[in-house]
Amino acid sequence: MTGAAEVGIAARARGRFQRWVDRRIPPARAVTLNQRRIFIFPNKAGLFFILCLLVMLLAAINFQNNLSYGLTFLLFTLFIIAILHTYANLSGLTIRAVHATPAFPGQQTEFELQLERSRRRDHIGLRLQWPGSAPVTASIVDEGALRLQLHLPTGRTRGWYYPGRLQVESSYPLGLLRCWSWIDLDLPALVYPQPLASPDLPGLSAETPDGAAVAVEGSDDFYGFRDYRQGDSLRQIYWKGLARGQNLQVKHYAAYADHSVWLDWEMFPGLGVEQRLSHLCYWALRFDAQGDEYGLRLPDITLPPDCGERHREEVLRALALHGKPGAQR
Amino acid sequence: MKAEQQIPRNALVWIVISLFTLVLPHAARLPAWVLGVYGIAALWRVMVYRGRWSFPRWPVKLTLVLAAFAGVLLSFRSLIGLEPTVALLLIAFAFKLLELAERKDAYVLLFLGYFVILTEFLFSQDLLIVLLCLLNVILVTTALVALHRPGEDRFSMQPFSKASVMVLQAAPLMLVLFFLFPRIGPLWTVPIKSQQATTGMSEFMKPGDVSQLSRSGEVAFRVAFEGDIPPQSQLYWRGLVMSRLRQGTWSALNYYDVPASERRPQEPVTAGPAPLRYSIIMEPTQQRWLYSLRYARSNDPGILSAPDYRLVRPVVIEDDFLYRVSSWPDAALENTLSDWRRLTELALPQGSNPRARQLARSIAAGAETPADIVAGVLALFTEQPFVYTLQPPLLPEDNPMDAFLFDTRRGFCEHYASAFVIMMRAAGVPARVVAGYQGGEVNPVNRTVIVHQFDAHAWAEVWLEGRGWVRVDPTAAVSPERIELGLEQALASEGSFLADSPLSPLRYRRIDLINKLRLRYDALTYRWQSWVVGFNADTQMQLLQQWFGEFNARKFALLILGSWALVLIPVGLSLLVRRRTHEVRKLDRLYLKFCDKLEKMGVAREPGEAPAAYAARARRALPRLAAQITAITTLYQQLAYADTEQAALDKFAAAVRNLN
Repeated sequence: MTGAAEVGIAARARGRFQRWVDRRIPPARAVTLNQRRIFIFPNKAGLFFILCLLVMLLAAINFQNNLSYGLTFLLFTLFIIAILHTYANLSGLTIRAVHATPAFPGQQTEFELQLERSRRRDHIGLRLQWPGSAPVTASIVDEGALRLQLHLPTGRTRGWYYPGRLQVESSYPLGLLRCWSWIDLDLPALVYPQPLASPDLPGLSAETPDGAAVAVEGSDDFYGFRDYRQGDSLRQIYWKGLARGQNLQVKHYAAYADHSVWLDWEMFPGLGVEQRLSHLCYWALRFDAQGDEYGLRLPDITLPPDCGERHREEVLRALALHGKPGAQR
Repeated sequence: MKAEQQIPRNALVWIVISLFTLVLPHAARLPAWVLGVYGIAALWRVMVYRGRWSFPRWPVKLTLVLAAFAGVLLSFRSLIGLEPTVALLLIAFAFKLLELAERKDAYVLLFLGYFVILTEFLFSQDLLIVLLCLLNVILVTTALVALHRPGEDRFSMQPFSKASVMVLQAAPLMLVLFFLFPRIGPLWTVPIKSQQATTGMSEFMKPGDVSQLSRSGEVAFRVAFEGDIPPQSQLYWRGLVMSRLRQGTWSALNYYDVPASERRPQEPVTAGPAPLRYSIIMEPTQQRWLYSLRYARSNDPGILSAPDYRLVRPVVIEDDFLYRVSSWPDAALENTLSDWRRLTELALPQGSNPRARQLARSIAAGAETPADIVAGVLALFTEQPFVYTLQPPLLPEDNPMDAFLFDTRRGFCEHYASAFVIMMRAAGVPARVVAGYQGGEVNPVNRTVIVHQFDAHAWAEVWLEGRGWVRVDPTAAVSPERIELGLEQALASEGSFLADSPLSPLRYRRIDLINKLRLRYDALTYRWQSWVVGFNADTQMQLLQQWFGEFNARKFALLILGSWALVLIPVGLSLLVRRRTHEVRKLDRLYLKFCDKLEKMGVAREPGEAPAAYAARARRALPRLAAQITAITTLYQQLAYADTEQAALDKFAAAVRNLN
């Protein structure tokens, strides 16, 4: 009874604290750490240090030794000065959300962050960690910015996955104080539906004649150049052209699609929403692997048959966000 | 082990450096094998780093710890007391290096390092030692800083400069605390330095003891007179009064040897004109007596007057000790001699030195007054071929003074004082030996008198009716130069002055530069001792009242807060002044500004969206600005991938500015 009440109080306190942090450090794509956002407190080593100072003070008093007094006070004031230095090490650091890689449920997703230094100061011994992920350490010395990749297992459900608040901390220079901030980078990762195999695909419909030439990225027959579009593979960028000052172009390859297929929401009558999406996902991946053209027809969206990396992502994204609010992100 | 817990190579280098500088000031006090332990520990750790050796396992560690205890026990014959404790602490410090695998081990090691610095101050408060210790504080802090720079695998001075800056910033705050922190008495008794050898004069004096002491060039104490410095021949610093002769050894009376009724000194009837006022800072002696000129009084707490007009301190002098004295050199001391005192000052061991006593009695027989006897004995020293030397021959165990007076006739001050007092007592004149220092070097830099160990001296006091105790220095009869000019001049022909200390700067006094430096440093030491070492609750109160008038808790708090703010605010400002977000190329900054403007109009750029794609989307959403958006984006792309010319950049800046 009391246990439940305690849990209730703890949960309420946590909730209140969470709301306070949300107000204080609102979600943003780029966060610059400043006095509103930085917390500082002695860590274990710092408390141990203070304990040592107390023992030293006792020695100074008992031996009536002025220089021992002096040393004890010097170390104590060093601790005070360290508060400013520890704080300054984190202050002014900007953390910018760059990119989050989509993933299938339970897989590791990669968050890419950019750390940017303040004008005059290096930031040393930074430690970044999402709840549940392995920490990453970094230092910005003599460079403007630094890109970091953090890996984190995603949730089990499709849609946008919010990793929670990123903890940024540092105890440089003396390690006696821990200086930290929790920031919400507003950087969700897309989680695709879990692919689920089904024995066969009912009602396959071919609309394109066999043997038509279809542009497929990733195949090996060179076809021509075209302007860069977002989502194009970096491997296909025509770097030589870029070096000559031309526009950013990609090499275009062609393959010949055998046939194209429509993946339709109505192919799996009588199944639940998630199951339908999982089956559609499975087949989309399968056709993609075969290099086939495929289109997607969902109640709220229709994607015409196509193939390639970009098309696959569009299809998977549509599947992941089906029926989710904020699908337009 | 987690990566962040690893000790960067640079930190390891700084830890090993500080390990050795920490033990340096202790080195002279430690058995040699402890230094060996340091070398082996450092080598072992470096080999571990290189992957050749491994960390010791627990049986090895246990053996090492037991061996260390045994070694300390053997070297010091005890585990209790300051020296064995410090030796154990230092060995633990070296051993901890062998356990240094993670960051938390390093914390223990480095905090232990701060402790080691503190223990050094319990032994020495010398200015140079303190400077070395300050360097050690910076070095340990450097290691701490290096520990928190992950992945620094090359030797780097940056942690050192960071640590120096921090220690320098902390120093003024430390001074405020140092002067304001209330000084309270010891909370419980602490182990004293049982192993520390006593220095300077000893409680007992045999012929040959003072001449031993006179080989040392160390400073015994420094004196600052309030007025003029009296002439050299008047500077007889009394330390011990030796009234008892047993088996050829002179010694002072203990407190309980004196009857209770005579434990307070007799006040002189007339003290004479205005006293000499001076303060003395003594180097630690591990003894209880203080030095002062004749008829000294001190109002300092914890200083007592002994019945033979000496100053004593009940607590052993373990650190530099400052005390203030007033002296009346012309006062007549102990006008009436009690029976007990007369008996004590006339006592001689049965049957010793028969020839000397015989000679004394014959001189007394021809004299009318005790003063004539004194003159007669002094005349003996002047007329006979007595030699004043720092290298007297060894005297036999039996009747040594007979051998000195009639055979060898070569002696140092204690020989003459001892022989003189024995003859006086034999002739019926109360007399005693006084041990202390005579003379001193005047430092022209700050007008202090530096008294060295080689100024150690022994002379006599005789009691004469109507005049009380009178100082007689038989050495002056033999070698007047000793009293007028000092030991060096007196021994000029012998060349034995400081023969054992070839490196003492005192030997090179003839070289002007060295002498000037030596005196300057000595003046600095005096200043250091009187300000820092001699700082106590009394001087603290005095100083605070002098600076701030009546002192109370409110002023105290204001003073601490005010002075700290004076330091912390500038430091904080220099560190934390709000800086513009970050360093991006000007071009990118302008482009981001462009994106911000569009975002306000409702078109936010998606993460990783290419400028061209973003422009296309923005054109669709904001057809009114389509031309401007295209122009800016094209310019940006050109500038981003071609050389950035200032003119083009300015054009770009203007375009972004004009976007509305």
